[in-house]
Amino acid sequence: MEDITLTINGKKISCQEGTSILNVAEEYGIKIPTLCHHHDLEPFGACRLCLVEEEKTGRLMASCVAPVAQDMTILTDSPRITKHRRNIVRLMMAEHPESCLVCSKGNRCQLRQIAAQLGVGETDLYPMPNYKRLEQANPFIIRDLSKCILCGKCIRADHELVVVGAIDYNLRGFRSRPATVHDLPLKDSSCTFCGTCVSMCPTGALASKNTQYVGTPEREGLSVCGFCGVGCSLTMGVAGEQVIEVNPSHRQDTVNGATLCVRGHFAHDFLNAGERLIRPMIRKDGELISASWDEALEIVADRLLNIKRTSGPQSVALLGSSKCTNEENYLFQKIARVLLGTNNIDNGGYSSGQRLLRLIDEKTDGGCRIHPLEQLEKAEAIFVLGANPDQSAPVVGYYLKRASRKGVTLIVADPRQTELADFASVWLSLLPQSDLELINGISALLYQKKAYDPSFIDRFTEGFGEYGDGLSSLDLERVTGVTGLDLDILEETAGLLNGKKIAFVIGHGILQQRYGMQSIEALFNLSLMTGSLGHAGAGIYGLARENNQIGAWDMGTAPHALPGRQPLNDVLNGDTARRGWERAWQAKLLPDQGSNVVRMIEEAEKGNLKALYILGENPLRSLPQPERVRKALESVDFVVVQDIFPTETAEIADVIMPGAAFSEKGGSITNMEGRIQTFRPVTSPPGEAKPDWEILFLLAAKMGYTGGNDSLEKIRAEIAELVPMYAELDGQRDVAWVKETSQRKLFDPGGKGGMIPFSSVVSTGDEVYDDIYPFTAILGSVRYHLGSGTRTGYSDRIGELGLKGEIEISPEDGINSGLRNGDMVRVLSPHGSLERAIRLEKRLRKGLIFVPLAVNANDAMNLIGLTELCRPESPGWKTCRVKLEKL
Amino acid sequence: MKPEEIDWGRLASVIEKHRDEKSLLIPLLQDIQETFGYIPPKSIESVAEAMNLFPSQVQGVISFYAGFSLKPKGKYVLRCCRGTACHVKGSRSILRVVEKELGINEGDTSPDYQFTLETVACLGACFLAPTMMVNRDYFGKLSPTKVTSILAEYRKDKEER
Ligand code: SF4
Ligand code: SF4
Ligand code: SF4
Ligand code: FES
Ligand code: FES
Repeated sequence: MEDITLTINGKKISCQEGTSILNVAEEYGIKIPTLCHHHDLEPFGACRLCLVEEEKTGRLMASCVAPVAQDMTILTDSPRITKHRRNIVRLMMAEHPESCLVCSKGNRCQLRQIAAQLGVGETDLYPMPNYKRLEQANPFIIRDLSKCILCGKCIRADHELVVVGAIDYNLRGFRSRPATVHDLPLKDSSCTFCGTCVSMCPTGALASKNTQYVGTPEREGLSVCGFCGVGCSLTMGVAGEQVIEVNPSHRQDTVNGATLCVRGHFAHDFLNAGERLIRPMIRKDGELISASWDEALEIVADRLLNIKRTSGPQSVALLGSSKCTNEENYLFQKIARVLLGTNNIDNGGYSSGQRLLRLIDEKTDGGCRIHPLEQLEKAEAIFVLGANPDQSAPVVGYYLKRASRKGVTLIVADPRQTELADFASVWLSLLPQSDLELINGISALLYQKKAYDPSFIDRFTEGFGEYGDGLSSLDLERVTGVTGLDLDILEETAGLLNGKKIAFVIGHGILQQRYGMQSIEALFNLSLMTGSLGHAGAGIYGLARENNQIGAWDMGTAPHALPGRQPLNDVLNGDTARRGWERAWQAKLLPDQGSNVVRMIEEAEKGNLKALYILGENPLRSLPQPERVRKALESVDFVVVQDIFPTETAEIADVIMPGAAFSEKGGSITNMEGRIQTFRPVTSPPGEAKPDWEILFLLAAKMGYTGGNDSLEKIRAEIAELVPMYAELDGQRDVAWVKETSQRKLFDPGGKGGMIPFSSVVSTGDEVYDDIYPFTAILGSVRYHLGSGTRTGYSDRIGELGLKGEIEISPEDGINSGLRNGDMVRVLSPHGSLERAIRLEKRLRKGLIFVPLAVNANDAMNLIGLTELCRPESPGWKTCRVKLEKL
Repeated sequence: MKPEEIDWGRLASVIEKHRDEKSLLIPLLQDIQETFGYIPPKSIESVAEAMNLFPSQVQGVISFYAGFSLKPKGKYVLRCCRGTACHVKGSRSILRVVEKELGINEGDTSPDYQFTLETVACLGACFLAPTMMVNRDYFGKLSPTKVTSILAEYRKDKEER
């Protein structure tokens, strides 16, 4: 594009052709008032407030939509413009209702701000308020469309950013307003309550509902969403020490831009819940009673060291938190390894299939750690397997839907017809647990067509010959049988993928299934064959359930890995990693892998586990077979729980230490992309609660540790120094990225790491189902809750929604079983049962039922077996066989 | 005479006919309007699906154009002009007379689906002010008595049938 020169307010400026006058002016620090413009939305030109004047011709133009032209002389602030702007605002104000005075947007209303700047107090016009019905029949959003100025930002945010399409302009002229289909209340529409439109609305027409507080927050602080692994950047509005409002942050380079999801926007009210733990508690004569910090820490230090001494380090285990910061997880595993001498340390990410993601890290030697979501919109093809990000990680869903709208080939493999399936070029409605066969089948078809990348394969991989042989001898008939898909649709899919580099997006449908490991290996093969690794907009994107699940693993809160995902045990390379850490920490480290969380429960059952220290996890609610877990934990001599809520697990603890929520402390977290975000406290912790890193440090000191780590900065400095992957976590920047350190040829042409091997083609075993349990239950997330729903369960607004978690069944099965909407059923599996209402769902195929997680104290976990593993460490927790009884 | 029950099969075939003409929403809506005399609100979702649009967008288009209606209309649609010229010539009282005669308000349809009463901003026949239209026929230089006799004609038509 050509460069153009023009003058704005007497200043000579050169810029690119095609840019809008507004953008150029902003770039040069010239402020032009706007109401309908937003940098993430397509220019619209609705409000005309951004008028500028071309001096030579006297033309007035809306600068947000008018492109620059050679030799323009633009005035942005002439008396003539001001007059017009004032008139526009006068007209808007004349239509505005008197309730403007008590509007909860208050001084943040852009209309009011602009009116004030232009000195429009009296409009001197006949007031003609355009009264519309006030809608507040939902827990999240108040719509007072009397205050709407028809800027269309909400509509464009809804269509362009979150791609839901719940609202659009309705009617014409004076009656025109944004409306849902059939003008229904939001709660009966397709609105997901992401609140993106609310943050976008320049007036009080859309406001978040807050029953605790009305008005402008006293101050604002930048933070990161406490829920899923996307790690959205957000701004918290604070009054007193309460977080009363959350909006997407104004930073421009964030993962979420101007969007959030319902959890991030509204569920953070859990922070203010009256149930928060505010002082340490210790168990005396069977009762939990308040104690001083000193007392509690003393007991914890003493008992842990004592048990280590008398029963050995193997009798102690620690469960770290996928919701705590990097700094905290680092310190926690250091306490485990250095002070308690055990590798029995894990984090909640286990149940989200962390072990499977590790496989990719091992195969590439850490070459695939960064997956910027924004690259998905530029991908050649996207293949989504076992993931329903619309519900589980909504911002990822937005990226995928936007990519599809931009014409990126999107393939969705899911037994359920999810919302995302509607955006797909092809929806593969495979049978549960058959992803492995599907991937093999598509790989075989691509291989047949010679649709692979020979130069990539030659230069960077080895073992393609054998892999190809494996694919050639694959029985495609068996593939269609196991997956339940026709050969035609597999051919169509292969055709769409032919010659493209693929971005795979995988969720818990893969990460938590019995054939998860094998599926990942097959996917990895397919991505090698198509040359999709090491390429922007391609590769394997794994969804992370919790916001710091990746960071907890990176920090070594895992039974198999030291910080920086370094191996505990690597005899081939002389155990250099472990020896390095031994020197750094001046301690002897055990080479043997410790217990993961499931092993911890099993060891407790066998009586081998004497002490368990749980940081920010609620295994009694998040693990399968809660009753079994309860019994196991009750048999442990000494249980410490450090948390922010009196969880089911805290209730059986011997000592409870109240920690701080993420917004009440500083730290950093790492999202599913490999982006490390540092944040500072926005409020202070309630009561006597303390930041967890501080508790951990105080505890380490009580245990006799003298090696520093007594401030956040010092912990962070130690991480940056000792963990090459986190070298950028140097306190200098708020956003950093993990380092990819692989020496494989693909990532480092001169590296010594060699080629990446293909693994052999394996197939699923033949499943034999017995008739006693005729249905396959799929357990899955709903967007209003995260994980097992402990925190979202303390959100008043989510609570008000009253989700019942109806079991979904196909209409056909429903009718055959004599079930109608709303009937109560008991769902039974070999492990346990639950009771809920039923809902016939035509998007579900015959033979399946869907059980939403997190509701009813997460009773869905009753149905699955804790130790149902296909290959070590791949939790088979996604599906199970069940039967239904009508109640 | 109630409007007929919607024949969903017929609706589906109208939509199917247009399915391959993506981005030609308006001809499809016109076709539905022609077929049923209005656009049944329940058809919005299927139209959106066929055109690959959000249902809210389809509704936005329907409600923007005066030519589309989401409500079934009467056999005779009366459009009373409320433009400036007609206003000066007393169109307000003409409208009142029509409302009184038909027993319905502006925007409404009579319970027997004979008449629908609408207003428009100008019929483009100002020299005949005050004016109104019944379906495609123009009537000008109206007076209350003229209105009464015109309406009587249309009513008679009903009785004859
Ligand atoms: S509701 Fe708000 S964002 Fe939407 S059009 Fe009205 S003023 Fe604009
Ligand atoms: S809350 Fe989200 S989904 Fe609902 S209308 Fe607004 S932008 Fe659309
Ligand atoms: S829950 Fe996930 S997608 Fe939703 S706002 Fe938080 S980080 Fe973003
Ligand atoms: S900001 Fe340019 S027209 Fe609204
Ligand atoms: S104003 Fe009535 S026809 Fe023009």
